[in-house]
Amino acid sequence: MGESDRRGSAPRVAAVPEATPARLTVSPLPRRAGLRAAGEVDLVTRATWTRALEHAVDEGEDVFHLELAALTFVDVAGAGVLAETVRRLPPGRRIVLHQPPSALSRILQMFWPGLPGIEVSPS
Amino acid sequence: MTATAEPFVHPALFYRGEQEYLAGTVPFVRAGLESGEPVAVAVPGENLRLIRDALGADADAVRLLDMREAGRTPGRIIPGVLRAFADAQPAGRRVRIIGEPVWAGRTPAEYPACAQHEALINAAFQGREVTILCPYDAVRLDERALADAHATHPVVIPSGTAGQHRSAAYAPEHVVARYNEPLSPAAPDALTFSFAAPTLSQARHVATAEGERLGLSGRPLEDLALATAELTTNSVVHGGGSGELRVWAEDGHVVCEVRDGGRLDDPLAGRRPVPRDQRGGRGLLLVNLVADLVRIHTGQDGTTVRAWFPR
Repeated sequence: MGESDRRGSAPRVAAVPEATPARLTVSPLPRRAGLRAAGEVDLVTRATWTRALEHAVDEGEDVFHLELAALTFVDVAGAGVLAETVRRLPPGRRIVLHQPPSALSRILQMFWPGLPGIEVSPS
Repeated sequence: MTATAEPFVHPALFYRGEQEYLAGTVPFVRAGLESGEPVAVAVPGENLRLIRDALGADADAVRLLDMREAGRTPGRIIPGVLRAFADAQPAGRRVRIIGEPVWAGRTPAEYPACAQHEALINAAFQGREVTILCPYDAVRLDERALADAHATHPVVIPSGTAGQHRSAAYAPEHVVARYNEPLSPAAPDALTFSFAAPTLSQARHVATAEGERLGLSGRPLEDLALATAELTTNSVVHGGGSGELRVWAEDGHVVCEVRDGGRLDDPLAGRRPVPRDQRGGRGLLLVNLVADLVRIHTGQDGTTVRAWFPR
């Protein structure tokens, strides 16, 4: 491939003035066990996402709530961290996803269908 | 087919017309059902109807899939159709599948991926108690497709015969290599964006903004975002740390291309189902599962992956 097509194809270059990596903020819920996540889960923010979800396992409550309405993107590895977290929960405990981005629900269905311990709530 | 050590059986069935099609496929299905073997048929819709009608009530015992839908992206057929069915069956029993991934309407962009897929089935099912019978329309397919079928199938059943024999031209690795061809040039007005780890998020936003401008919406737009994320992340993690993203429109599709300096040595990458407890390794598989077509060119100079989304 190479140079010929590289030369022929680049009049429109999308420039970015300054690199601004994906941002993810996570905060505890005031009235129940769980977290609210806002922003994007990708390679750059995955470590933050992983640490946040560890609370779901450490927390003793039967139900751990994840409020995801302000989460705008989750990549496949980010969904995988969630699936792994759910699998590590002791029997009888579960994670409820509130308003997850539709892509997250689809990825979970694609790669972890019927995973016990996870529930999706539209509200 | 006597005294072969390889349990995987992969014949190409060349047919001319409906009668030969049914004579080559229906007895294959019935023999499987009589032996208590799980049987799936994944062929283009019009051929699926022929087989279903000929099977009558027995069709209920067969998993029927329209290959135009389930196998539109050739890269999706092994993980999403063939292994999805074979792996779900109880061990110790041969699995039978009819798979017709090559039909006369396949586009020039699709065909190389079809031929590579047919070649890679052999590696994907090596050692498995599985039979995959692949019908080829000897009337409507061109010479190249029919010749390639002799190179991608160890066994062939010539048109109008019931007998099968070894294919002297069998050379699946050559087919994989031959169709690892440079992709056609990107559109001259393609939007280009150079990315690295700190700009992965922007790469995704650049792609989705351009995709939306070019007419994508809803699920295909979401798929473009997912695919861009996985391909650019692969470049950062496995492809030398950076790469170039291009997005443009092509007829009814928006095309997303990611190019990096890495080399993809595993031809089955993105074509294996991933066990649910495995961490990672799903990026290229996801792209195969959501795109209308995926083409890859890899070599000394780097790797280019191109994915098509309907607009």
